[in-house]
Amino acid sequence: MKNLSRLTGPLLLALAFSLPVSAQAPAPQAAPQAPAAVDLVKDQQKRTVDQPGNNAPVWREVRSGQPNYTSIPGREVGVLVQPQARFPGQDGMTTAGEAWRKYRNGPITFYGGWLVVAVMAIIAAIYFVMGPIKLHEPPTGRMIVRFTLAERWMHWIVAISFCVLGVSGLLMLFGKYVLLPVIGHTLFGWLTSLAKNLHNFVAPLFIAGLLVFIVMYIKDNLPEKGDLFWALNSWKFFKGEHLPAGRFNAGEKAWFWGGVVALCLIMTASGLVMLFPNLEAFELRATFQQASVVHAIAAVLVIGAGLGHIYLGTIGVEGAYGNMRDGVTDETWAKEHHELWYNEVKGAKRS
Amino acid sequence: MARMKFLCDAERCIECNGCVTACKNENEVPWGVNRRRVVTINDGVIGAEKSISVACMHCSDAPCMAVCPVDCFYRTSDGVVLHDKDLCIGCGYCFYACPFGAPQFPQAGAFGLRGKMDKCTFCAGGPEADKSDAEFKKYGRNRLAEGKLPACAEMCSTKALLGGDGDVIADIYRERVVRRGNKGAEAWGWGSAYGQPPKGGVAPAAPAGGKS
Repeated sequence: MKNLSRLTGPLLLALAFSLPVSAQAPAPQAAPQAPAAVDLVKDQQKRTVDQPGNNAPVWREVRSGQPNYTSIPGREVGVLVQPQARFPGQDGMTTAGEAWRKYRNGPITFYGGWLVVAVMAIIAAIYFVMGPIKLHEPPTGRMIVRFTLAERWMHWIVAISFCVLGVSGLLMLFGKYVLLPVIGHTLFGWLTSLAKNLHNFVAPLFIAGLLVFIVMYIKDNLPEKGDLFWALNSWKFFKGEHLPAGRFNAGEKAWFWGGVVALCLIMTASGLVMLFPNLEAFELRATFQQASVVHAIAAVLVIGAGLGHIYLGTIGVEGAYGNMRDGVTDETWAKEHHELWYNEVKGAKRS
Repeated sequence: MARMKFLCDAERCIECNGCVTACKNENEVPWGVNRRRVVTINDGVIGAEKSISVACMHCSDAPCMAVCPVDCFYRTSDGVVLHDKDLCIGCGYCFYACPFGAPQFPQAGAFGLRGKMDKCTFCAGGPEADKSDAEFKKYGRNRLAEGKLPACAEMCSTKALLGGDGDVIADIYRERVVRRGNKGAEAWGWGSAYGQPPKGGVAPAAPAGGKS
């Protein structure tokens, strides 16, 4: 058990996201501590003499989740019943597998599912009530380079693999409740099998792309003067008002740091744990349970934010999609959306 | 209908692993998979060593069934929890959720990806036609369809492992406990749970009105 906490500890600290309380961690509402294993052994020896047939101390050892002897090879085969654990917000300790099941099938599926639905509803409301953000002046026809070829490639590699991972992940978490009743077990099983394999094999591409992407885009996403003003007035953005911004505005920076850097790196770390189920080093059930909880929570958040980004990058803002497709933008668009950057580019050209 | 159950008598199990071998042989279980295993608690400690054989317990509220993303599990009218390998995607969630570590995964292909899950079927096969070739290849023998009980329990040399109708095996076990003479029915009473007096001593305090 020591080994386990040593290995999962740094992972969870690094993620600092959702800290499942494992068996070793102190739990405020936990039952009184079970006596140490040595006491249970002595206790059993005593009972074998005093009360033959009473194996209560042995059964306590079984329930503690400690590893015992077995001649069968494999990981954790000496554990008869998984140790006790609970996830944040759960009332009491229960078998780790049961705690995980309740957490995954409960709050993660329920709130996660409705979060994704709510984000879609909000986007639809913005689109249909306020309408997309249009340019105020006619395009000039003069184009400015906004994204280099390399930047566009990295964006689309990450974007397309993100969508594949997102759709296949949603299928694995919510498909049972949404799609399975519609298309039936056979087709759904086949589709989810495909989704799982895509998820496994697209993930490394996504991770590699993500790392290059972050390095490539980090410079222009560093905070600068004006970000605070933009952020405080961001609600005006949806009304189509003019807000001066650099190459990336505060909203884009929030997506970069919160979504791409923080959440996607959390997804990467927790995903890698589950990607290699046979790595002797750290692949215990507790690691999987914790990684899958972190993965699922980060996933619904990043999918929600990603939907917002996809909306604003396509139908939400006139001209935005063309920028990333062609790499160039019209001067009018640059001036209206990224005035500081526009001035910078024009200034550099003049000098 | 009968409700099928396993029961392992820790007083009788001698850790011979006969059940493990019987299961592997009867069902031609894939390499690297053991549907059943014997675990010894306090191994080598005189007076405290107990062995228990464990496999799928065919839970009433099965966690594997609850977390399966493709809903590939089902329960037979005998209370046996089975799964459909044609639907299984090898995600491993049933293995995370199962308290007993029953679901097993043969490695499939590169990177140690999980293959289709394999677990104890209570010798009841799978969704294919009873006693068919396809059923045997995927899930092993369907002994229940042949009117037999699971091979592990049938093979157990000390009859520590019992498998069958829950009512019947519970009766067998109850009779055993009584015959062992270790205080008979008291084996389940207050004294057993919270301690009995050392010979000639005083019993630990029971709550007022508590039955011993």
